[in-house]
Amino acid sequence: MAQPLLKITNLHAEIAEDGTEILRGVDLELNEGQIHAIMGPNGSGKSTLSKVIAGHPAYEVTDGDILYRGESILGLQPDERARAGVFLAFQYPVEIPGVSVANFMRTALNAKRGEEVDIFDFQDELEARMGMLEMDPAFAARSVNDGFSGGEKKRNEILQLAMLEPLLAVMDETDSGLDIDALRIVTGGINRIKSERPEMAVLLITHYQRMLNYITPDVVHVMVEGRIARSGGAELALELEERGYDWLREEAGAV
Amino acid sequence: MADGTATVGPVAAVGALTRDQVEILTARKGEPEWLRAGRLKAWDAFAAAPMPTTRDEDWRYTDIGRMLKLEGFALADEAASVADADGLPAGLRAVVDESGETSARVAQVDASVVLREVPAELAAQGLIVSSLETALREHPALVERWLGTAVTDEDGKFAALNSAYWTGGLFVYVPRGVKVEVPVRSYRWITAAGTAVFGRTLVVAEAGAEVAIVDEVASDDFDRPTLSTSAAELFADEGAKVTYVSVQRWGLGVAHLSTDRLVAGRDAKITTLYTTLGGDLSRADVKCRLRAPGSHVDMLGVYVAQGQQHFDHETLQDHVAPHASSNLLFKGALDDRSRSVFRGLIRVHPKAQRTDAYQTNRNLILAAGARADSLPNLEIQADDVRCSHAATVGQLDEEEIFYLLSRCIPKAEAVRLVVFGFFAEVLDQLPHEGVRRELLRAVERKLARRAQA
Ligand SMILES: Nc1ncnc2c1ncn2[C@@H]1O[C@H](COP(=O)(O)OP(=O)(O)OP(=O)(O)O)[C@@H](O)[C@H]1O
Ligand SMILES: [Mg+2]
Repeated sequence: MAQPLLKITNLHAEIAEDGTEILRGVDLELNEGQIHAIMGPNGSGKSTLSKVIAGHPAYEVTDGDILYRGESILGLQPDERARAGVFLAFQYPVEIPGVSVANFMRTALNAKRGEEVDIFDFQDELEARMGMLEMDPAFAARSVNDGFSGGEKKRNEILQLAMLEPLLAVMDETDSGLDIDALRIVTGGINRIKSERPEMAVLLITHYQRMLNYITPDVVHVMVEGRIARSGGAELALELEERGYDWLREEAGAV
Repeated sequence: MADGTATVGPVAAVGALTRDQVEILTARKGEPEWLRAGRLKAWDAFAAAPMPTTRDEDWRYTDIGRMLKLEGFALADEAASVADADGLPAGLRAVVDESGETSARVAQVDASVVLREVPAELAAQGLIVSSLETALREHPALVERWLGTAVTDEDGKFAALNSAYWTGGLFVYVPRGVKVEVPVRSYRWITAAGTAVFGRTLVVAEAGAEVAIVDEVASDDFDRPTLSTSAAELFADEGAKVTYVSVQRWGLGVAHLSTDRLVAGRDAKITTLYTTLGGDLSRADVKCRLRAPGSHVDMLGVYVAQGQQHFDHETLQDHVAPHASSNLLFKGALDDRSRSVFRGLIRVHPKAQRTDAYQTNRNLILAAGARADSLPNLEIQADDVRCSHAATVGQLDEEEIFYLLSRCIPKAEAVRLVVFGFFAEVLDQLPHEGVRRELLRAVERKLARRAQA
């Protein structure tokens, strides 16, 4: 079989500032085109894993490796990883006052493509993608995430995903804070992007089975205390829904 | 600056500032007696005033005596008039070419106004745009009535110096009810290192008049200390709307000291924007007087300091009359080892009930060696008022930067974008879209220097 798109081995990471270890030996393999879900209790390290993949400077990797397309990305800056095709949809998207969505998006796209994108092509594309996500065109002129509702922020993340065309999309609780209609629109957007570019792999962090009703995962992982405690098929999510996490915590503690 | 120090030190004395020179200046220009007397009185005030020290509250963080030696500057030369903008020095022409929509314009090179263009249809409505020297000849009564009434010899040593020595100058007069929709432009340019220029601006908007003025100063970088001392007086009569945009883009080597006084009459609205980008040392003393009820003043400021630049802004929102309002927002970004000082005061006089006055200064520190001091202040002698002030000095938000990085944007550009966004809040308040875009570009260009460094 071809090499996995993402291969994480024995990943240990701590908070750079105080040395607190958060990730304690994560192993994970994700092939091109696959969809994996990561579930797990609050504080188990899911967001930390996503940020470490994206290269957040607050964390220091102390052991293990992250291979992307067969090569370690630990030495790459966050923007280099992004240009290589790694995308992180934030659990808490950041507000950038005074910078419009359009300006931000165009700067990002220029950086991604390494060339000045034609302004008219860009506008057409942005408009089409916003339409797909049922976003009011007025959002293009608004400051990035500034004063956006929780749901609007999440849609804006998917808009960026659509525009930047990554090969690996890590989505951190993109479903949380969405009402039922918005969840349908956002998951519809993700599925649409996925159908356009089936090679894109998705790492979906979520607390809820309901998102997995819209996006069917190939594999479900459960993260407990900084490790993948268990992996299985889509049915594992259902089992978690029923049984909670305690049994896994006990197992993890027993290791 | 070439030698990498922020001190504007003495150079070999090419010429000295003296009372005799004031006499020579006023005689050669054949000025009326009232002006001659005024210049000499200003000279005496200048000579009598000691150089400010850090013991003076106004100069606490700007050690002017150490940064500026007033000896050794040569008076800037007089320059010959040009037929059109093509005749301007190349550097100035580039500045002029960057300007968007323009109604009338005046350009000063060194000591002289060399270009003046006023569209016939505006002149026909009574709009006057000229050098102040020309106005003295063509409209002596108007100039005598207003000049020196807002900037006086009590406004400090450097204002007095300017009143003694100004040449060229800008005069804008908008008659009652005349609305000039497209901005009036003034440019001032220095060609020679080691010289001293004394720019002067006088703006009078009669009742119901509307005008926007972009007053821009610029030069190349100089390898020797060069001095700019300027003063502006602006009067907005009843119901007038005046926008005054100062753009300071001097090259390195220049020390810039300005004293501006703006007066708002009944129901008048004044918007000012100070854009401070250039020079080694820049000190702007801007005071707005809300003289009559219903007046409103927006005071805006944007500054970007790099290297060892030292910028000092001193502001006053002077509420003399009741039922007036003012709103100040100054924002600055400080890089490398630059310094900024903001001292702002809202003063509400006993009769100024129902005053609404706000003041905010925010500073973004981009490098560990940079520093901003912010000293907002209130002095309130009326009881029925709403006033507030706020000041912050902060660093770049790492989460914002990471967010942009994670969207493929390289670090230097991410920083620029965040800083740019930081200034948008100020520039968005400028009523003129075209001018706003120009200023954004000027700020962008200044920030671009950062990436190269
Ligand atoms: N930069 C940080 N500074 C301090 N503590 C941190 C930092 N990042 C993560 N932590 C801590 O590490 C643990 C894991 O956090 P993380 O956000 O990865 O959890 P999570 O699995 O995403 O939780 P949730 O389901 O609530 O989103 C938590 O205890 C959190 O407080
Ligand atoms: Mg999380």
